[in-house]
Amino acid sequence: MDFINLLALGFGEALTPTNLGFCLVGALLGTLIGVLPGIGPTATIAVLLPITFYLPPLAGLIMLAGIYYGAQYGGSTTAILVNLPGEASSVVTAIDGYKMAQKGRAGSALAVAALGSFFAGTVATFGIALAGPTLSSFALSFGPAEYVSLMLFGLLAATVLARGPVLKAIGMILLGLLLGMVGIDAGSGEERLTFSAMELFDGIDFVVIAIGLFGFAEIIENLENHEARGVLVSKLSRLWPTREDFRRAWPAVLRGTGVGTFLGVLPGGGATLASFCAYSFEKKISRHPEEFGEGAVEGVAGPEAANNAGAQSSFIPLLTLGIPSNNMMAMMLSAFIIHGITPGPTVLATQPEIFWGLVASMWIGNLMLVVINLPMIGVWVKLLTVPYRLLYPAILLFCCVGVYSINNRIFDVVLAAGFGLLGYAFRKAKCEAGPLLLGFVLGPLLETNIRRAMTISHGDPSVFYERPISLVLLIATVGMLVLMVLPSFRRTREEAFQEEEA
Amino acid sequence: MKHLIRNTALATTLLLGTGIAHAEWPTDRPIELIVAFAPGGGTDVMNRTLAPYIEEELGAKITILNRPGASGEIAYTALTEARPDGYTASSLNTPGYLTMQMDRKVRFDPKKLCPVARIVEDPGSFIVQAGSEFNSLKDLVEYAKANPGAVTVGTTGLGTDEHLAMLQLEKSAGIDLTAVTFNGANEARTALLGGHVMMIGINVGEFVGSDHSAFKNLGQFAEQRSVIAPDLPTAKEQGFDVLVSSERGIAMGCDVPADIRTKFSDAVHKALDNPEFQEKAKQQSLALSYLSADDWNKEMPVRAERLGAIWKLAKEQQ
Amino acid sequence: MSAPRKAGSTGDRPDFLTAALFVGFGALGLWAGRDLTLGTVSAMGPGYLPRVVCWLLIVVGAAVGGLGLFRDREDIARPRPWPVIVILAAVIGFAFVAEYFGFVAGSVWLLLVGSVADRDSRLREVLLLTAGLTAFGALVFIVGLGVQMPIWPF
Repeated sequence: MDFINLLALGFGEALTPTNLGFCLVGALLGTLIGVLPGIGPTATIAVLLPITFYLPPLAGLIMLAGIYYGAQYGGSTTAILVNLPGEASSVVTAIDGYKMAQKGRAGSALAVAALGSFFAGTVATFGIALAGPTLSSFALSFGPAEYVSLMLFGLLAATVLARGPVLKAIGMILLGLLLGMVGIDAGSGEERLTFSAMELFDGIDFVVIAIGLFGFAEIIENLENHEARGVLVSKLSRLWPTREDFRRAWPAVLRGTGVGTFLGVLPGGGATLASFCAYSFEKKISRHPEEFGEGAVEGVAGPEAANNAGAQSSFIPLLTLGIPSNNMMAMMLSAFIIHGITPGPTVLATQPEIFWGLVASMWIGNLMLVVINLPMIGVWVKLLTVPYRLLYPAILLFCCVGVYSINNRIFDVVLAAGFGLLGYAFRKAKCEAGPLLLGFVLGPLLETNIRRAMTISHGDPSVFYERPISLVLLIATVGMLVLMVLPSFRRTREEAFQEEEA
Repeated sequence: MKHLIRNTALATTLLLGTGIAHAEWPTDRPIELIVAFAPGGGTDVMNRTLAPYIEEELGAKITILNRPGASGEIAYTALTEARPDGYTASSLNTPGYLTMQMDRKVRFDPKKLCPVARIVEDPGSFIVQAGSEFNSLKDLVEYAKANPGAVTVGTTGLGTDEHLAMLQLEKSAGIDLTAVTFNGANEARTALLGGHVMMIGINVGEFVGSDHSAFKNLGQFAEQRSVIAPDLPTAKEQGFDVLVSSERGIAMGCDVPADIRTKFSDAVHKALDNPEFQEKAKQQSLALSYLSADDWNKEMPVRAERLGAIWKLAKEQQ
Repeated sequence: MSAPRKAGSTGDRPDFLTAALFVGFGALGLWAGRDLTLGTVSAMGPGYLPRVVCWLLIVVGAAVGGLGLFRDREDIARPRPWPVIVILAAVIGFAFVAEYFGFVAGSVWLLLVGSVADRDSRLREVLLLTAGLTAFGALVFIVGLGVQMPIWPF
């Protein structure tokens, strides 16, 4: 069969000692920058781009791809251990993962995240190999109207992320939307909500908000509560997940993988949407929704699988159509172009060893990551026993350098400090920051697509319900809204809230 | 506050600096080349590719510093505020550099920014899906005449080269097109592939340098056909007065002594002629088009005037 | 962290704070965006959606505050200003010091000042930690990952 031959060709390429070596270097480097908060894969790849001039094309690409998915692995580690999501997709992991860590189950959370990610990575890699072109045509059928419906669905689902009253969650989403509007509006060239600060013309960076609201605010709160502080509240229990953990996690991993593979293909917010759609989904179908937010293992397994599957499948539009679906992929495109390769359907036909070699290396890289990361769990968990007075200065330093390195400017660090203060106020007000971040990420997509859809249709709103995919999404959104106002649903939320207070 | 601290710091460094005997430019310390865009973008990759060859000519070290934001305004401001000792240079891109001055009060003094060399001039162009019924700008104009407003054109925002090209075509052919804004060329390409817009604007270099089997180019907006697309007819050849291109080059502060600027400019020129660099430029589909500091300085006002006329058109339309 | 509760009275203080934050940001957004063009539905101006979002935010804030009036009394956990001030000062100071005097100076500032926030800190430990983390940071971030920041002030 053709497919088997091509895959064999790919593995033949990926298994040469050089390529294996660069795959390992990439995966290790990715894990490192993923663990360090604030330093993102985009910046690292940018720095390494010139080095790949001197490497053979495939080796360079394999290394850069390794950094990308390695960072996904590493990112969840910081989210679980110190409640610091380095990028949008690990915001969700932090919710239940950190709670698990506080309850002494950091080992379980990390192991489930690593194994779930590996499984999802494997499935998604084969997904790329088998159905890449089909999936990319699915992505192309998403026009402005479909995006609007998808974003509405996603924003509504985001209310499930927080415990406590729905109204507060909605308010936080709205605030996120508002923050997402800061900057120069591309459609008109007008400055919006920038207070004439030139540094805000391009909007606020996600990392600035995340480090402020999560990183700095968490440190301040921990220092304030002298008695019950630090990460580890209860005693460390066993390192490895229990049989019960596995039983509850594996269906969540399966579902997360499915969600992630599909949504990851969508340009823009695909991979982000994937992780929290998976979380909302798990919470919805769970028989114990009250455990979510309190350290439910499904709440780590589902989103982690989804985010890793999404990270892999976001390569699909780049490899099959030559279109990068996010900043990271745009960087990969530069790497291809530096080597005179232009990814797209032509390369697929003329240089199959590049496409299939990269796909095969992704699977190998995922395997390496799981082999590297599982033994590391012991070390990470030990880290939690370090006294907090020694831990927090390190976190502080990593956060500061990370924020500075986004645009190499003071302004961002000061802004992050401001968000730290805001995050502190939100903690006093018992508002959770997760929905705000998701509103912030999805907001600009929602706005630009509403405006695009209305321009194209000349103001006719029928585009939203006349296009089938958009219609289905809108029906799902309305359905979820009905579920939320239905008394039975409200009762479970209320119960969860009261339990938490009790 | 910020300025106060900056100035104090500057004063301190100056005081410290005078004590030490300076070696002659450019071997004293590395030259900082500020890139006004994020790492990995076209401007960044071009400058990072070119820098080693300039280093070779000067016998000095160059470090690249990315200061992205506000379409370059942040970088230009940093350049004009830097010490005028020849150790700071910056990328310079048009039309952004010129249109921002028309659109808003910029936070730097354009008179303090002197071009060193133009490296690339990349003409704009319009592309449609490969299966489209349009084969030339003429076909498109005919269709747009029959169906006013029906042709949707993807651009990357107000005042970008694609948007200016669209306005010129509307005026020159007397048609009405609908602009749809995207955040960047890649989003626009995705929308074109999915059939959500009919046509998008794209630089010829970007078009040639990517897999374009799914697209068809209707014409380039240059005076003469670009070196990287010798077979693509210009809009002028097709009877429409559309002339838009984006330029990339390097600038230095005007307070830098003229002889240093000239030396730097010469080094850039020699680096561009290096066959090794030319080979790499070809791989990256860079539309190399060198202009010396003087020539570029003369060309810039002409360009600004042309853009200004279109710009007025855009403002009236709003 | 369970907030103290007093029986008999009503008024959820965290909800009031939430309401103040939401309404405040909504109003700030409306004020900051007062000059933005509204546009029409078919050609939405830059001010269209921000205004919608700001008003929704104000409405939601008012609702949270209103409902909070009728809930059992709950107080806000007492704030202690010391850690807040020290951490923010350390962070902001880091940015300026690092920009003008290089990473090592910035890192030393951040870690020394930041350690003051915690009353458990011991001088010897802080000094060792500062030296270790600064060296680690310079190696990993600046040399290794190529963060664009000078290491030394000169």
